[in-house]
Amino acid sequence: MSAPHILAAPAGDEFHAPGVELFDWGPLFPGGPAWLDWFTKPVLIVTLSVVIVCWFAYAAFAKPKMVPRGVQNIGEVAYLFVREQVARPALGSESDRWMPFLFSTFFFILVMNLMGVIPVMQLPGPSHIAFAIVLAAVVYVMMLFLGIKHQGFIGYFKNMMFPPGLPKPLYIVLAPIELLSTIILRPFTHAVRLFANMFAGHILLAFFATVGYWFLIEKLTPMGFAVGVVGVLMTIIMTGFEMFIQALQAFIFAVLAASYIAGSLHAEH
Amino acid sequence: MVRSAMSGEGRPPDRHSDETDHRAFTGAVWSIPSYIISGMAVYGGVGWLLDRWLGTSALFPIGILVGLGLARYLIYHRYGR
Repeated sequence: MSAPHILAAPAGDEFHAPGVELFDWGPLFPGGPAWLDWFTKPVLIVTLSVVIVCWFAYAAFAKPKMVPRGVQNIGEVAYLFVREQVARPALGSESDRWMPFLFSTFFFILVMNLMGVIPVMQLPGPSHIAFAIVLAAVVYVMMLFLGIKHQGFIGYFKNMMFPPGLPKPLYIVLAPIELLSTIILRPFTHAVRLFANMFAGHILLAFFATVGYWFLIEKLTPMGFAVGVVGVLMTIIMTGFEMFIQALQAFIFAVLAASYIAGSLHAEH
Repeated sequence: MVRSAMSGEGRPPDRHSDETDHRAFTGAVWSIPSYIISGMAVYGGVGWLLDRWLGTSALFPIGILVGLGLARYLIYHRYGR
């Protein structure tokens, strides 16, 4: 953070890069009744995402026509995308059973993430780790339940820890890695990957936007002008990049969910 | 040379026509980090415990490297072929 400090106007107050306080949101209605204190901006964003996804699914699929029109067109393209790119590669012929879950998960996360670049909202839902944890926990519980249901309790852990085709002595050293990886680190990385990407992306955007605002509007100096312009340009570029990351993370989350489910339905090999 | 590389010789043979093969292939890339962390945690942890027990200090980093290597092997065995 040294460069902005040097370039900041000598008038006294310095440039401050935005930090984690970006994610501290008090009640949405500060003067409101106490029972409404839980209603913060992140909650609003997630609620809105739920509503948008529900509306989208309803508008697209509630009254399907043979010749699709309007929202149904988009819905069918979206459905095909999730089925061909997320479900089929992992689940094969069992895809259709899991499509409702994968479709809604993918679009819920996608909309939540995209809230990070939508004006006024400008906060990706999963940048609060709780939302990412809950989503990952749903997949985790499902994975364990399905695994034990389809392979038996002993069989599930046996198939997990002893993948066939390895030299026998190696099982002793590899089984702990498999166990820790599947039982503890899978849900952890699943949640943290989504959270960290959204968190870092939001900070990055906020940083460049603050640089632009500070050097062009708050403290306009001849030297700071160039920095401010760079800040604005980077904000625009990073917004595009963030949209890519947001879509990619939603996709990865859904792909991993599908592959975890597939691994529980049949022993991996 | 460029031609021959682009004409498909460099492509891996199509082994994923079978459904089960396909299953092992997709999404795998993204679960590799959990194997790597797991390998380092398990054998780094063993090394750390041995260090405490024996009063040494070298086994913790060695354990981490061993874990990395084993995780790497496991990943190769699962997804690499």
